[in-house]
Parts: sequence; C-alpha cells; structure tokens
Amino acid sequence: MEKQEIEPSSHLSVIIDLSPTQWHLASLQNNNELQPQSSQQVLTFRSFITQTLAFLNSHLALKHENTLAVYGALPGKSVLLYSPTVPKSETEDISADANSYLPFKVLDNAVTTRIGEELDALRDEDEEAPCDLVGALTKSLCYINKLLTSTPATLDATTPPPEPRIVIMSVSPDQSASYIPLMNSIFSAQKLKVTIDVCKVFGPDAVFLQQAAYLTGGAYIYLERRDALLQHLMMTFLPPPSIRRLLVVPTQDKVDFRAACFCHKTIVDIGFVCSVCLSSTSPSKSVQFVSQKLMAYLLQFVQFSVNLSQSVQPVGTSIFLW
Amino acid sequence: MPSTTSNLCQAKASYKKIPGLLELTKSHLNWTATGKQKADLRIPTSQAASLFCSKEGSPQVKLKLALVGNDAGHTFMFTSPQASAEREVFKTELTMMISENRSNSSAQQQKVQQQHDGAANGTPRSFPAVSRATSVSSGRASSLGPSGAPDDLQLRRKVLVKNADLAKLHRELVLSGQITEAEFWEGRESLLVAEASQENQKRGRPGKLVDPRPQEVNGDTKIVITPQLVHDIFEEYPVVAKAYSENVPKPMKEGEFWTRYFKSRLFDSHRASIRQSAAQHTINVDPIFDKYVEKDDDELEPRRQRDEEVDIFVDLVTSQEDHVETGNKRDLTMQAGRQRGALPLIRKFNEHSERLLNAAEGGFPSKKRRIDDGQSLYDIIDLDDLRDGDSSNGIVLEMKDRDRYYDGRTGDQSSSEDKPVFRTVLPEVRGQLNGWSKALGSLKIDRKAGDAALQSMTQNVQARLEVKLQKNDIPESVFSQMRTCQTAANEFLRQYWSSIFPPPSDPQTLGTSTPAQKAAKAAKMIGYLASTQDKVDAIIKAASSAGAEPAKIEVAMKPVLNAVEKALQFHRNRRPIR
Repeated sequence: MEKQEIEPSSHLSVIIDLSPTQWHLASLQNNNELQPQSSQQVLTFRSFITQTLAFLNSHLALKHENTLAVYGALPGKSVLLYSPTVPKSETEDISADANSYLPFKVLDNAVTTRIGEELDALRDEDEEAPCDLVGALTKSLCYINKLLTSTPATLDATTPPPEPRIVIMSVSPDQSASYIPLMNSIFSAQKLKVTIDVCKVFGPDAVFLQQAAYLTGGAYIYLERRDALLQHLMMTFLPPPSIRRLLVVPTQDKVDFRAACFCHKTIVDIGFVCSVCLSSTSPSKSVQFVSQKLMAYLLQFVQFSVNLSQSVQPVGTSIFLW
Repeated sequence: MPSTTSNLCQAKASYKKIPGLLELTKSHLNWTATGKQKADLRIPTSQAASLFCSKEGSPQVKLKLALVGNDAGHTFMFTSPQASAEREVFKTELTMMISENRSNSSAQQQKVQQQHDGAANGTPRSFPAVSRATSVSSGRASSLGPSGAPDDLQLRRKVLVKNADLAKLHRELVLSGQITEAEFWEGRESLLVAEASQENQKRGRPGKLVDPRPQEVNGDTKIVITPQLVHDIFEEYPVVAKAYSENVPKPMKEGEFWTRYFKSRLFDSHRASIRQSAAQHTINVDPIFDKYVEKDDDELEPRRQRDEEVDIFVDLVTSQEDHVETGNKRDLTMQAGRQRGALPLIRKFNEHSERLLNAAEGGFPSKKRRIDDGQSLYDIIDLDDLRDGDSSNGIVLEMKDRDRYYDGRTGDQSSSEDKPVFRTVLPEVRGQLNGWSKALGSLKIDRKAGDAALQSMTQNVQARLEVKLQKNDIPESVFSQMRTCQTAANEFLRQYWSSIFPPPSDPQTLGTSTPAQKAAKAAKMIGYLASTQDKVDAIIKAASSAGAEPAKIEVAMKPVLNAVEKALQFHRNRRPIR
C-alpha cells in the first residue's frame, strides 16, 4: 500500500450559484429563445440539488482523505454551506440511519439546511441583487490557501498536500462589473495551482467563467442534457487534475477572450491596453484615459530626470540623445 | 570658406603603387594618376569613416582612409619630400570631416559612390558647413527641402526596405499591377509620416565616453591612436590638450607624448571603467604628466558647482518634508557618495552628459519655465499636449445581440416584462428544497439522457484527441501559396472597406478621393475578392496533387473566405439602397 501513501488526497470546493430567479427560469418548460435548441429539458432545483449531492458524496467516497467545502453564491452575498471544520451544532440531531452512510448524511443535511436558511433570509428583499459569485470564489481560494499552508504542520511530513480544485455550478449570466475581481481571483488560483472547473447549468455561455477555466487548466462544460446532470458531473469533474492527464475529460474548445473596459465595466470587442499597467479600456474613452495616465507617468519621469540634472542624487548612466 | 570646387589641399601621393596627385576638395577626395586629366578615384568625403596614419618617422608616409561600409578603404602613400607635412594637412582636414560625418552618418545611409576611370557623374551632394557648431544642429534638415513635404518615393522605398512583409505585399499587388501605388499607400500614410519624422529627427552626438582600449598584439599591449581619437580625447579632457600644447613638440615628440600619456597616472584617472583598480599598481611615475593629475573629485561637494536655479517642480528637496508627514521613510538607498570611490565616476558621467546636452541644445537649458510673478503654479503644470482638443465620437460599433454583452443587470432590465417577480419565485425555489431526502433516495437518471450525455462528451474528448494527433504536413510550396493568397485577400479587403467607410477625420491624410473614385475602387476590389474562391480552389487542387489533404487547406482558408464572403454580401446588399 506504499503507493497510496504518495498519492495526494483531493480537495474539492464547490460553488453553487443560488439565484432564485435563474432557477425558476430553469424549471420552466421552453423558457426562452436564448437557449440553444439542444437543451430543452427541464431541470428543477430539487433535481439539481439531489444530483449535486450525489456527486459530492461520490467525491467523498472516492478516497478516505478527500475533503470538501461547499459555498453558495446568493443574491448579494456568499456563504459557506459546508466544510468539515464548520461547527457541528446544527447537525447534532442527525441520528444514525440504517440506509445511509453517516458522513454523507451529515453533508447532505448541512448543505440543504443552510441553503434553506439563506433562502429564507432573502424573504424581505423586493429585487434580486446579482449573485456574489466572486465572493464565493475568493472565500474558497482563501480556504484552499489555508488548507495548503497548514497541512504540513498538522500531518505527517511524508503526506503530500491535498490537490485542490474548484467547481463552479453557474446559472446566472456574466456580470461585467465583476470582471476585474474575477480576473484577480483567476490569477490567485493560477498561483495556488488551483484548477477551476465550470459547469454552466443554465443560461447563456459565461465568457468570464470560460476564461477562468481556460486560464487555470480546468474544464468548462455547457450542460447539453440537463436531465443527465449527474452524468456530466461524474465524467467531467470527479477526476482530480492529476488523473486527468491519463483520463481526458471533456471541455469546451472555444473560449471567448474578450475583456471588460476598466472604466465602464462593459465587455468590449476592441480595447486599448495600457502598456505599463495592462489595464484595458474601450476605444471611446481611450483619449481621456490615456492622458490621465500619461500625466501620472510624466510626473514620475520629471522626478527621474531631476536625478540626472542635479548631482545631488546622480544616477550612474549617461544620457544618450537621439 | 573656399567654394566646393576649389582644393583644400593637394599632394603627390601614390595609390596602388601608381604615382599621382591627391587632392581634397570640400566634397571629394580625388586622386589622379600622373599624366591624366580626370580623377581616377573620387571618394565623397561624406563617406569617410576613419583615418589611419603610419608611424611618425617610418620610411613610408602612408594615410589610410576607411569608408562607411568599407573598412579596407584606400591607402595613399605620400611621395613628395615634404610628405610628413603634407600628410599632416590632409589629416587635419579629414579629421574634421570625419567627426562631421559621425554626427550625421547614421542618418545618411547612402550607397558608396565611387567611380573608377573618371566616369565621375555622381551628383555632388550639398555638404553641411564645416564648422562644428552648425554640424550638430543642421543634421538632415537640408535634404528634406524647405517646403517640408517629404520626398514620397524615397520614403516609400525606405518603409518597404524596413518592412519585409509589406515589401512582399507591395511586390505582389502593385508591381503585378493589381492595385495602384496610390491605392496601396492609402490608409498607410501613418507609416510614411512616421518614417518622415524619423528622417527629420536631428541626431545628436553619440554619447559614448572616450575610452581607448588597449589591444593585445604579439604580447604587447597597444593602443591605436587615430586622429579622430586624439580629437575626442582633447575635447573630453581639456587637461590633456593643455599638456599636449605645453609639451609637444618640446620636450616630447608626439609619439612619445602619447606613449607616456597612456602609461601615466593621468590616463589612469581618466579611464571610465572598473579596470582602473586592476591597473593601479602598474602605473609608472611620470614627472611631466603627474603635474596634470587632478585630485580625485570625491569630496562631499563636487568640484564644479552648479550655479543653476532648480525649477521648483523638479526640485526633490522641496517635497522632502512631506515625506515624513505621509509616513514615508527617508530615502537611504539613493544617497550619493556613500561609496566614495564611486563619486568621481558618477561626477564624470554627469559632466559628460551635461556636455552632450549642452552641445545639443547650445548652452545651458533655457529657463523659460521659471516662475514669474504673474504666472500661477497651476498654469505651469497644465500642459497643452494633455488637453484633448477635438475629441471625436468615434465610429459606433454595430453589434448583434448587444444585450448579451452588456451588464447582466441591464440585460435583465431590458426584458423586465417577462422577468419573474422575485417575491413569487423565492418561495417556489425554497419549496423545491423540501423533500430532497426522498428525492435523493429515489434518484434515477433517465437512461436515454445519460447515454446521450455520455456520447456527446466522448465525442468532445475524441475530437480533441484527433486534433492532438494531427501533424502539420502541408508542403511548403502549398503553404506559401496559401500565405500569399491570404495576405492578398486581406489587402483587397482592407482596400474595399476603406473605400466604403469614411476616412478618419485626419486633416493631414493624403489623397482623399471623391465618392465616384471610391465607388470605382470598391467595385474593382469586389472584382478581385470575387476571384478569391477560385484561387483557393486552385490551391486545394495543387495541394491534393502534391499529396496534402485538401480538407485541411479548406479549413485553413475558411476564415479568409468567410471574410471575403461577408464583403461580397455587403456589397450585394448595399447596391439597391444607394
């Protein structure tokens, strides 16, 4: 059993998009023209939850050391729905059940109860705010970071750190306003070597999430048969990244690489990129934008040139004229 | 100043062992074999790059002139009894011209013009005045003409020479007569303008420090002294010039002067590089040169004080107090003179830079930005260049499914009539949560759906695998044809669209054509574009006969054909409207 000791365990963070409106739309028959013709099947929220729970359970069942954290992206906020370290107070009343494996039941109960609580808390709202997907993503990255940095201290030194990844179950359309924070999350994920997988359950393709999956080496799938959600989840998202080198998982080839303008937060087809700070901007505003930036750099330059002209703080180079 | 035709100097000299007469005019160095009327060798002085002389006192008095792009150059041997003196005259004149050339040589990339056998029909170039002060500032301004209109043909050629891809396209399209020269350059004016402005730019003096490097020849260290180097040393280190004038020819001869200089402590202190420390212990004591050694400029205050008033906006000292207030630490990293040994070097660099700047600007920088009483501080930092004078509205981007690309929120609002009410939706979704346990217990995936999903995902994986296994086996000849076809089609497309859409509202764009001309051009381009399909078909045919897979080429050329098709379709639809 020497080999198993070396194999890393796998940590999975699942982010569930819990936009009530979008779930309502998903459960409607033949809802709107935005949908590609292939996915006419109905997917109720209940069906989604049960299939997702089955997927989560199978992740835990795959390996004893596997860990799991579940986040919910709710309108205007993001919450941790389940993690092994969360206080067990709410799940105390779970009694052993002959028909179910206790860890599964703890997980299932915790997730559904928390979702129920959070949805109840929304009762006073009139309008649905956009879902805080980035918040959930950031929280899960923090969780993974903590997991990776604290593991060697608590566990045996020979145990490799867990292999982390994130799966996003998305139903909401892109929010241009969250482009920059999302991009920053992607960069942190790259740095942490976290793959981000995306399952677009409902709605149009999410440009930013496509980029997230592409940039972190994860898989992006658009759910073609919504009634076979579990099949997709099992086939695409169950194997951890190290296994995917041997077991190829489906993903999407086409990636939309457009960026959002930094000042207007709209997605642009043609943008201008500042060569210094790499911020992109839309053509219409480029002049003002550039001139503002130019002023800032000019001041820096002026300060630099003082260094040359005053011999108070000389710089060891001579000036070349052209 | 003598006119261009008159000789600056002349001397008997042999060239390639044939005796003759060497003459120097302002524009040319001519050599005529004895008994001939016309010059056998005419070297434009603008080509002179460097000068070498045989040693003082050696039996043969030689002078070698290396040319731009021709290091071998020409060697003349002075044959008259006063050979040395004559050579000295040539040396002085040529040295002047060479330093002249250096300051504008890189701007003039002109072919070496030299005609043997007297066929001297090369057009004499107007040559910048010899005086040093003007040579720095005159630069290339003369070749551009007073009107400021760039010589288009010349410029175009230069742009093409610099840009190989463009040159290829030009060859394929213009030289084959498919589009005219003017059409080709329409929309590319910016390239010409950029080239022109680059041409126009004054070139300052090269900023290299004078640093003669010894060369190892047969175990001896040698420093080759050219008249140019002497000139540079004198300019850089006036103290050497002083020593030279005081000690040559008495008590030292020129050769001895330089030998001793390069061995002296004086030279060592003039060296710019780190080698200084290594050579320190090998320095000889030299009573003459040691007199001229200055003390190292490593005191806290530089020896040469600057008396300029520092502009308040660039004076770092003025904001120093604020740093403490904002919590910034004192800057300890950039303190000058912490390492004392570095100070002379740093000051030398600064002085050198200042000298260069002054040479370029002609004296001390003007103080026009000094604060006057009437001028407010803000007026000074308000730069005209940063004001956006005429902001254009740009071209509206026509996008399909515009809503899809904008913010999710605004997208929702636009379809608010069929948007479900949140208050009714929430309980419904919440209700779905109840009974999850039972649903989980009886979870069952429809077999048909599962199979379909499995199949589509397997296809996805397989498709990517196939792409990975594919090799690039298009023959090079076919590939280059594809490239040619693609670039040509792109150019036609560019021409077509530029004739359709309004030109940028840039007043300086050349050749704005009338609507009728534009329509004619668009029609012509459409004609070319329409034949793209045939060209692609021909390539595919050629490829299949060359053994490549036609389908691959079809796929590769698809984007081009799509773009062409779009233009063709646009053209068809446009007609009736007009």
